Parts: sequence; structure tokens; C-alpha cells
Amino acid sequence: MRNKYPVGSGLLLLLLGGAIGYGIGLGIDMLISGTLNYSGSVASAFALLLAVSSFFFGVFGYRGITRGLVWQVLGTLIGGFFVTGIRALMGLDLFGSFFFTEPAWVFGAFSGVISFLFGVGVVSDWMKWARGIDTPEHHEDVPTWEKYLGVSLDHKVIGIQYTVTALVLISVGGLFALIFRTELAASQLQFLTTTFKLFNQNGPQIYNSLMSLHGMIMIVSILLGISGIMNYVIPLLLGAHDMAFPRMNAFAFWIAVPATVLLLMSLVLGGFDTGWTGYPPLSARAPVGVQMFFLGVISAGWSSILGSLNIIATIVRMRAKGMNAMRMPIFMWASIATSIIALTATQLIGLSFQLVMFQRLFGMGFFDPAKGGNPVLFQHLFWFYSHPAVYVFVLPGLGIISELLPVFVRKPLFGYRWVAMSSLGIALVGFLVWAHHMFTSGMNEYLRVPFMYSTLLVAVPTGVKFFSWVATLWGGKITTPTPMLFVLGAIVVFLLGGLTGPPNATVSTDLHLHDTYFIVGHFHDTIFGGFVFPFFAALYYWFPKATGRRMNEFWGKVHFWLMTPSFFVLTFGMMRVGLLGMRRRIVDYDPALGFDLSHLVMTIAGYLIGISVLIFIINLVHSMKNGEKAEGNVWNSRSPEWQVPSPMPAHNYAVPFEVVGEPYDYGLPGSKYVQFIDAPEHVAHPEIAGHSEMKTHQSWGQEQNDTHTR
Amino acid sequence: MIHIQDKKSMLGQGILIFIYLAVLTGLEFFVAISFNSVPLLVVVALVKAALVLYYYMHVHKLNAESPDEDEDSYDYKTGTNRLGLWLFLISDSFVFAGLMVVRINLLGLTRPHLDQTLGLLVTAVLLVSSFFMNRGETLMHGGDRKGFLTNTMITFGLGLAFLIGVVFVEWPNAISEGVTPSSGAQGAAFFMMTGMHAFHVLTGLIFLLVVLVNGRRGVYDQQNYPVEAVAVYWHFIDVVWIFFYPALYLIGALT
Amino acid sequence: MRHFIIVGILVIVISILTYIGLAAIGLMPLAASAQAGPIDWLWNLEVMTISFLFALIVVPMAYSLVVFRRKQGDTTDAEHIEGNTNLEITWTIVPLFIVMVFAYLGAGNLAEIRRVDPQAMVVNVTGLQWAWTFEYPAYGVVANELHVPEGQQVLLQMTSNDVLHSFWVPEFRVKQDLVPGRLTELRFTPTVPGSYKVRCAEICGTSHAYMEAPVIVSAQADFDAWMIDQVALAEEAAATPEGRGRALVAANGCVACHSVNGAAGIGPTWFGLFGRQERLTDGSVITADDAYIHESIKAPQAKIVAGFENQLMPAYKFTDEQITDIVSYIKTLK
Ligand code: HEA
Ligand code: HEA
Ligand code: CUA
Ligand SMILES: [Cu+2]
Repeated sequence: MRNKYPVGSGLLLLLLGGAIGYGIGLGIDMLISGTLNYSGSVASAFALLLAVSSFFFGVFGYRGITRGLVWQVLGTLIGGFFVTGIRALMGLDLFGSFFFTEPAWVFGAFSGVISFLFGVGVVSDWMKWARGIDTPEHHEDVPTWEKYLGVSLDHKVIGIQYTVTALVLISVGGLFALIFRTELAASQLQFLTTTFKLFNQNGPQIYNSLMSLHGMIMIVSILLGISGIMNYVIPLLLGAHDMAFPRMNAFAFWIAVPATVLLLMSLVLGGFDTGWTGYPPLSARAPVGVQMFFLGVISAGWSSILGSLNIIATIVRMRAKGMNAMRMPIFMWASIATSIIALTATQLIGLSFQLVMFQRLFGMGFFDPAKGGNPVLFQHLFWFYSHPAVYVFVLPGLGIISELLPVFVRKPLFGYRWVAMSSLGIALVGFLVWAHHMFTSGMNEYLRVPFMYSTLLVAVPTGVKFFSWVATLWGGKITTPTPMLFVLGAIVVFLLGGLTGPPNATVSTDLHLHDTYFIVGHFHDTIFGGFVFPFFAALYYWFPKATGRRMNEFWGKVHFWLMTPSFFVLTFGMMRVGLLGMRRRIVDYDPALGFDLSHLVMTIAGYLIGISVLIFIINLVHSMKNGEKAEGNVWNSRSPEWQVPSPMPAHNYAVPFEVVGEPYDYGLPGSKYVQFIDAPEHVAHPEIAGHSEMKTHQSWGQEQNDTHTR
Repeated sequence: MIHIQDKKSMLGQGILIFIYLAVLTGLEFFVAISFNSVPLLVVVALVKAALVLYYYMHVHKLNAESPDEDEDSYDYKTGTNRLGLWLFLISDSFVFAGLMVVRINLLGLTRPHLDQTLGLLVTAVLLVSSFFMNRGETLMHGGDRKGFLTNTMITFGLGLAFLIGVVFVEWPNAISEGVTPSSGAQGAAFFMMTGMHAFHVLTGLIFLLVVLVNGRRGVYDQQNYPVEAVAVYWHFIDVVWIFFYPALYLIGALT
Repeated sequence: MRHFIIVGILVIVISILTYIGLAAIGLMPLAASAQAGPIDWLWNLEVMTISFLFALIVVPMAYSLVVFRRKQGDTTDAEHIEGNTNLEITWTIVPLFIVMVFAYLGAGNLAEIRRVDPQAMVVNVTGLQWAWTFEYPAYGVVANELHVPEGQQVLLQMTSNDVLHSFWVPEFRVKQDLVPGRLTELRFTPTVPGSYKVRCAEICGTSHAYMEAPVIVSAQADFDAWMIDQVALAEEAAATPEGRGRALVAANGCVACHSVNGAAGIGPTWFGLFGRQERLTDGSVITADDAYIHESIKAPQAKIVAGFENQLMPAYKFTDEQITDIVSYIKTLK
């Protein structure tokens, strides 16, 4: 079925589905609680689910993602009722204040995720394999937006799917931020008051839920964002026709979608007031929403584990001829370092949340002092992931900076080897510093000083990068199109974030800084400098590769010049009030502190950032169709993907290339990085017949294995 | 280390390693009941794990370069898959490491009241299953499909026995001893660790089943990486238990 | 060469200006404890370092952007420089040295602020959602305010009834979490008389923002005076049931959720509660009598007043006598 007005009908059905779901929800709520609760969770939950799935139905029909979402809804209900049925047999109470009881919700949500994966069809190949049937690696080359809404094995499609999802999540998370920033604009409670009611939460509770979700949604968006860039770019830079495990690649993306739905569900199902860190005992008492949050994070975690597995395997096994370690593009090193962390440490956040989940479900007393548990143990498990994770956020970003600088400076990356090693250095040291988040937590005193030493050590490899960047800029011939602007912005912003790290690391000063807005300022700087700015830079830079068109330069510059100053205002404000005594995670602050003005300014700055991002989104969408054509080597770069015309053909390089030089030898006369093996072609190549058959029989034992341990 | 290639001596090697493992397990048990020396138990566990990793899971195959460098050849892809599987196992082992940390932090040098004979029994069962798995794999590489099927069948049976032993015998048993999930840190740790491991055994069994069915169909007669994969995964589950068994049953004093 | 000299000068100028600017703003709040001294000293040193390093990176960047711009119509690449080993070693070693110095200073600093005074006055602090209680074992007094004499070290022995909290008085700098099921310690020596606020710094649920309590630092004499009437109050309160009830309420922080003046709160107000008709979540209406209040304290979830569905009140373990006292206190609230 072809649909002339996808978006229109989508939005229409969005409203329709939402209304119907809301009605159903109200009805059910009425039946069990006997009261009409217009802002209640049940109504909202149904509204949310039906609205989202019917939106995609309108856009796309009952295929791909739509099917997945519908199956997820059904799976959730079936799973929920299944448990409810069992409870009926055991004579336990059937319904809670959120319709299902907590165990029912947990099992339902879980089966919902599984159902989604089956519904969207990302596991069907593995199912075939399990039955001994071979499946070809179909790279459907249909030039239509529709392939992005269904399962595709093409790393370029998956990369774009990741990226778009990340942008949507940044928008949603940012929207949350803007909402709670508005409440913070002045002391006292303005609209999130104690009488305010939404999703069975009052104002302060909604604040906490929004704040916590802002944190986690943004973090998930980072994970998806970096996966997006890495997925799209890595095989191109390696000269591979795809990732090592295309099916697992698709799986890693698609499991992130139900994860997102779960995260949003958590807001609706009573929310949770724990912050993104979810420390017990608080998280052991929070409403059922926290369980959805846990499940969402665990699913997203699997996405990043499998994604990074794939990236390591790809970089190790699928490099072009002659691309030895020291001739890899620097971004490869960053990706490897990131992936090592994501592959291993991520399991620990999954585990820590799972333990709290089970503590709630089965009364297992891991973190419950009354049962001989230990609340501080959770923090150790949690930070063993979540500190290295912060380097997962930034390493690809720093890689992008190092990758793009030489192009716009027309000069080799200064000290390539050492920069490459510094990424690994950061990753490895990053594993040994987690307890710097726990200096006040009441952990064993003697741990504090060693962790101070290890933490400060990270400054060294990070510094190496900065000095190399400066040395690269020095004496170059610099041009500043939009991508370069964002690169430069990233360096300065990340420098600020980085330099505010050591004061947190020295224990005695951290006793003052811990859990204040100074920390909030610190990590917004690091995250923006290490992820957001480089992410935008990468999007502006590789957009022509993906579309054959350029993004509008003028609006790009507007985006930058609006976002950067407002961002400085935002974070300087945060640090300022933080030092003076502004705690984190508070819906309201003591007027006597006299922070009102600063907070008002911060809120305005936040809105300006929002607007700038909005401008970006519009520019992006608009340029896809109307941007000026750019099919050649737009940035006059040496790296292979720019040596073939844009947009990239479905099978990447029809003619394989060989690495014959250093990646960044700008200014070395006659030097070349890559050499196409038969006759350096510069035009699109016809598909080699039977190409896709050549790649059948992919790796099945291994992926088979992975599906089962899911 | 020399890697013996011909089938016969490979089988011989399998048996030899199994004997080592059995002896070490016995030693382990003896050490535990006579003089409970934690360092010694740790060493024994490490040795056992090393043996399995090297001879049953043959990690060395990781850097066995595939003869032809054509990226689309089955050999080359098999190399990639090996890497992928090992990466996955590394990732997975962090879960178990995490559980180990939980156990050490919460229980320290104490251990829950559990049925020692039962513990030893299931451990033995899992060990033997590993032996047959290795045998089955070796035979498959030697091109002997029937032998592969029978041995894998036995592996499956033993694996099932282990699962039943833990979930349907040991758990009720522990509960009757007063060690329940909600009884306290000990119970929590015990059920979480055995539960997580049992879950992996379950997935292993499913994977074994798949390989059995396809093996009967003759899917793997030339290209039999999946057999190697299932074997490696199965041995991995065994390695985990090599550490969990002493952690839960042997180390420390009863309380 | 010329370039290097200019940049060098600029770096120095900018870092000095940055530092002076930051110092002029005054980054830290009033320093009101002996511990604040060392902490602010280290912080100041870090601000200097940050100003310098920031200039060290940003100035050459900005300079290059101006001086090394691509000239109009120039399409050639820049000079081909791949790196410089000595330089790279330098900018690895020097930061390494700096951070090690900071780690060393940091360790000494930490030792200094944790110096133990055996004469320290002990206060037992309990945190609960969402209130602070301070017990002075030496005087047998329990209060919701922390009063401490100037110039004497205070040793807080802290624990929590429910979730994590964190004791923080910005003017004292130091901070320590309260962990249920264990005792954590915090030492500080107030130096500046005045009234401050302890602000809970670890998110602990709905009213985390409001989990604050007055901290009054006064001269020894005033402190003694305060302590004397506290003791007196405690004694006279102990005489009457409503007095005992009020004391219990104070000690357990009930007022954090239940206002005594009719104001809206986390829980239903106690003002005029006794004998009031309460509408419950199941729609039924009940009169708040002794039995009802007894039950609501012992098993808060048994009957929940409509509108307070998801405010989980912890169950309190009072004896019946104590509850009767509390009820008689509530009766006085109209
Ligand atoms: C996103 C990425 C990211 C990055 C890259 C960093 C980088 C660093 N972070 Fe940050 N951090 C976070 C994200 C990040 N952080 C988040 C999200 C939190 C809060 C979590 C929560 O509680 O919610 C946090 C919290 C946090 C804390 C806990 C604070 C508290 O809660 O009490 C600490 C304490 O040590 C810390 C330290 C550091 C250090 C030392 C670095 C270093 O890596 C910085 C290294 C870089 C430089 C130092 C600058 C460049 C170097 C030079 C120019 C060389 C010369 C420099 C020197 C000689 C010093 N961070
Ligand atoms: C990627 C990471 C990331 C990003 C980008 C941001 C972006 C922002 N953050 Fe946040 N933040 C975190 C990560 C991030 N944050 C984390 C991890 C925490 C800790 C949470 C915790 O304590 O647990 C936190 C906490 C946090 C706090 C502290 C809350 C508290 O402690 O009480 C504040 C307060 O000001 C804040 C503000 C902001 C603002 C104003 C932005 C602005 O940049 C936002 C700008 C707006 C947008 C980017 C959206 C723009 C798009 C649109 C408006 C289009 C809308 C259209 C559609 C929906 C289609 N953040
Ligand atoms: Cu108590 Cu926050
Ligand atoms: Cu950290």
C-alpha cells in the first residue's frame, strides 16, 4: 500500500489512537479503582502506546516498526495478564494502583520487548538458521525513506536509524529539561506544585521523574548517537562492505526502540524520584515506574554491548589491504577504545539494576540493610559502569575532533601515534577511578586517596589530545565551515568540562562540590564538548556523504552562534550557583540564597539552546531534499569514503581499495592515502553480479549463540 | 604448546584433560572439608579454568590465521565468528564477575547451609557433560557425524540433569534449610548466582538442541563452525561453575 | 619564533586576568568552619591552575584562528609536520607531574580537615524522609535544630531511618552521606557565629528539596543557655501526655509531612484532624478517632486518605502509650 501523505495521516492517527487509548484506559481505571482519574497512569499509558503505534501505522502501514510496536503492546498485555492469571490462582491481589501489579508489569514489559523484536522481524533470520535454513544477505537498494522504518542489514541504513533516534531522544530529553528548567526559573513552586497532579504524581514528584528521565534519556541518546556515527562511518573508512555481523547490528539497533518506549512508560507509570543513578534504598521504594526504567536501561545496555562487539570485530577483521594499526584513521582507535569499555562495563549497570529489580520482586536483600545487604555495594557496581561510560560518551567525539581537524587545517594530525594511544590510555585508566563518585558515600575511608590518584591520572592522556589539537592548528591553513566551527567549539567546551574535573577528584574539595550544580555544570560541559558538539560536527560533515547534498551553511552558522554562547551561560551559571550552595536534584531552592536571577538566566539560555537545536533539526530535514548538490569530495579530504561519489552506493566500494600511505599526510606532495585496486575510479560502479550471494552463510553459529543468551 | 591435529590423539587428549579436571575437583573438595584454605581453592579453580579454556575451548584458535585471506571465504568468516563469540563471552563473564563481587562483599568468609553431596554431584555432572561435548566436537571435526550426535546427545542429557539438579532439587532443598531468596543476603546471593548460571545453562541447552537437530539433517558436514561454537559456549558455562561451586559450597565457614 | 613570543605573553596575561576575574567574583560562600580554610586554599590553587591551563590551550587556538587563516584564493596545503617527540614527551610528563602534585596536596589536605579533637562534642544525627533530628547524648536532649558552640569541634554520628541522605552546610564545606543500617561520622569546627542551614544533599524522594534544618552557631555561653531551657522544656513536656506527644512528634520529624497549622503537606494536616471526616481512597468516609489514628500510625497503608495515594508513609514502631500521647497532642491542634 502506497500512502501519498505519510506524515499527515500519521499525525492524524496519532491523535486518534491517543484519544482511543485514553478512553480505554479511563474505562479500565474506572472499572478497577471506581474513580475517574483523568490524569491517571492507566489512561495515559494506553494513550501513549496506542498513539505511538498508530502514528507509525499512518506513516508506514502495518510493517516494520509499526508491527513491532503493536506486538510490543500486545506482548505487554499478554505477559501482564499471564502473571495476573497466576496471581489469581495463588489468590494474590490482581490489580494495583497502576492497573497491573508490579510483577505483572515487569514480566509484561519484558515480554513486550521480546515481542517487539519478533514483530519487527529482526530475529527471523536467526530463527531460520535455527531450522537449518540459509538466509541471503539482502541489501535492498530501494532508494526510499521506507527502508529506514523496517529492518535493514545495511550498516548505512542502520547508522542513520541510530542517528535519527538519537536526535529524537535529545529532543525529548531536552524538552523535559526545558520543562523542569521552567520550574527552576524562580524559587518557590510555580506550576509543579504539590496540588498539581499528573500520572499519579504531584508536582515535586513529576519534577524528580522528569529530571531523572532527562538524565537517562540523554545518556541513551548519546549511546545511540555514537553508535550511529560509528556504524555509518567505520565500514566506509575500513573499506568493508558492511559490519562483521550485520544481523546482530540490526538487532542492536532495534532493541533500543522498545527500550525507549519503556523509558517513556516509566514516566507514565508513577515515575521514579531517584535520579538517573537509581540508588537504593530509594529506588527500592519508588513507584513501579522505576522497574520500567530499569528494564529500559537494561535493553539499551544490550544495544550498546552488541553494537560494540560488532565494532571491535569489524575493525579487527575487516580492514582494507595495507591498513595496519598505525595507518588506521584515528577515529578507529577511538571507536576501539570506546567499544572495549561498552562491551565489558555495561554488564555491570545491567546487573546492578537487575539486583534492585529482584530485591523489589522477590525481597532479595542485596542492598537492604535490614537483611544484611549493603546499599554502598550498589554504588560500586553502578559506577564501575557509569564512570567508564562517561568515556564511552566522549571518546568517539574526541575521535571525530581528531579526524576532522586535519581536513580543515590542511596539516597532518600532530603526533598521530600518541593521540591513538591516549584513547586506549583513557579507556584503561577509566576503569580504575569509579569510586570518585562516592567520596561522601560512607565507603571505606582508605579507598578515597588511591581513587583520587587514579582519577587525576586520567587528565594526562586527555591532555595529550588537547595539546596535539593545538599543535595541529598551529601553522595550518585554517578554514571554518560549520563542521569546523563545531569542532573548535567542542575543544573549548570540553576543555572547560575537563578542567572542572580535577577539583572534583581531589577529595577534600569534592566534599564541598559533591551533589551540587557545580557537578551538573561539569558534566554538561564534558558531555556537550565530548558528544553534542562533535556529534553535530559529524552530522554536518558526513551529511553530504549520506545524501549527496549539503546542509545549509548559513543556518548551520546560526545554529552554532546561538548554541555556543547560550551554552556557556548555562553551565557557568550552574557552576556559580553550585559553588554557592545550590544542591542537585531539587525542585525548589531557598529564596534566601538569592539564586533567582541566575536561575532565570540559565532557563533562558536553556531555551535558546533548545531553539538552536530546533533550527538544526529543521535545517537537516529541509536540506535532505533542497540542499545544494554535493556529490564530490566536498571537504577535499584524503579519506577513502570521499574518493567515491555521494551518496554512497548500497554496497559501498564496488572496487576495493588498498592503503598506500598515512591517513593525514596533508601537505606532503604526491602522497596518497588510498589507491583503488584496479584503475583509480572516480565514478559510481555497476553492481558486481552475484555480489550479495558471495556474502551468504554469515557467521551463524556465533550469532545464533547470542540470540539465546539474550 | 603443540596442537595435536589427528583425531585419535585429540580424543586421547580430551580424556586426559578430563582426568586432570576430575582429580582437581576431588582435591578441591578434600581441601575444603579438611583444612579450608581459600588461597588454595582459588588456585585450584584457576588451574581448572585454565585447562578448560586451553584444551576444551582452544582459545589458541583465535590467532590461527585462516589459510586464504579472501574476506568472503568461510574460513575467514569463521575466524571473525570466533572473535565475536569470544568477545561475547568476555562481556558475559563480567556479569558473573559482578555476582562474585556481590557474594564476596555480602558473605565474606561465610557460606550458606547447602547439601554438600548434591553440590559435588551436580558439579561432577556438568564436568562430565563438558567432556562429552569436547568428544562430540572432536568427532565432528573428524567427520564422524554419528559419533558427534551421540556424544552431543549425552551432553544434552547431562546438562538437563544439572539444570534439574540445581533448580528442582537443590533450590527446594535450600529453602527447606531456611535459605530462601528473601531470607537475607546469603539466600539472595545463592539464588541470584545459581539462577543466573542456570539461565545460561538453559540457553546452552536450547543451543545444543538446535545443533543436534541440524546435525541430524547434516547441515554441518562441511562447514561446522556452529558445532565449535556450541561447544565453546557450553564449556564457558562449565568454567563459570568452576568458580561458582567453591564460592557457594566450599569457601568459608557455615553460619 | 615571533609567534611564540606573542602567544607566550598572551597566555600569561590571559591566565592572570582570568584568575583575577574569578577571584574578584568570589566563588565560595562564607567560610564558617575550621575545615573551610584548607579546602578553600586547595580550591584557590586549583582555580589558578585551571585559569592557566585554560589560557594555555585557548589562546594558541584563538591566535591560530586569526593568524593562520587560509588566505583568499590559496588552495595549497599547509606545511607537512607530523609531530615532535620531545614536545609530546614534555606534554605528557609535565601534566603528570602537576596532577601528582595535586594528588599529594589533596591527600595532605584531606588529612588536615579530618584531624580529630578528642574533646569533640558528640551529636547523634538521624535523617529521615524528610527531616533531621539531633540528639545530644551528653544532655539527653532531642531537637530538630542543630545548635553548636563556636570554636569547638563537633562530631556528628549519623544514620538514616529510611533512604540515603547527606549532611551538608555549604558554609562548613564538608559533606557526608547518611546510610541506613550504619553509622557515618562527620567532624567540623564552627568558627563564625550565626545561623546556617543543613541542606540534604542526596536525593531522598519527593521533599528532598525541603529537607533542611536550622544550624545555629553561638558563643559557648549562649549555647549553654539554650541547652538549659531545652532540658527544662524536655522535663516539663515529659509531665503531660500532650507534652510527651509533642516531643515524640519533634523527635520523629512527623511535622515534615503533617502540618500542624492546616497548611497543605505531603500528608494530611493534623490541624483539626481529630474528629474530622476523612474521605478514603476506596471512596468510603471515616471519622478520625483514636482507633483510626492508632492504626494510621502503625499501618499507614491500611487506610489512605484520598489524594495521598502514592505518598508512602513509613510505619513507625511506637508503643501504644506513646501513640496515645501523640493523639492527645493532636487533639490540642484546633
Ligand atoms: C561525559 C563525560 C565526562 C568526562 C569526560 C568527565 C571527565 C572527568 N570527570 Fe566527570 N562526571 C561526568 C561526566 C564526565 N566526566 C558525569 C556525568 C558526572 C556526574 C555523574 C552524576 O553524579 O550524575 C561526573 C562527575 C564527576 C565526579 C564526581 C563528582 C561528585 O559527584 O562528587 C568526579 C570526581 O572526581 C569527576 C571527575 C572527572 C575527571 C577528573 C575527569 C577527567 O577525565 C577530565 C580530564 C580532562 C582535563 C583535565 C582537561 C584537559 C587536560 C589538560 C589540559 C592537561 C593538563 C591538565 C591538568 C594537569 C589537570 N567527574
Ligand atoms: C546528553 C546529555 C545531556 C544533555 C544534552 C543535556 C541538556 C540539558 N540539560 Fe541536562 N542533564 C544530563 C545530561 C544532559 N543534559 C544528565 C545526565 C543529568 C543528571 C540527571 C540526574 O541528576 O539524575 C542532567 C541534569 C540536568 C540538570 C540538573 C537537574 C537537577 O539536578 O535537578 C539541569 C538543570 O538545569 C539540566 C539542564 C539541561 C539543559 C537546560 C539542557 C539543554 O541543553 C537542553 C536543550 C534542549 C534541547 C536539546 C531540546 C531541543 C529540541 C526541541 C525543543 C525540539 C522539540 C521537538 C520535538 C520533541 C520533536 N540537566
Ligand atoms: Cu534527605 Cu535528600
Ligand atoms: Cu566519574
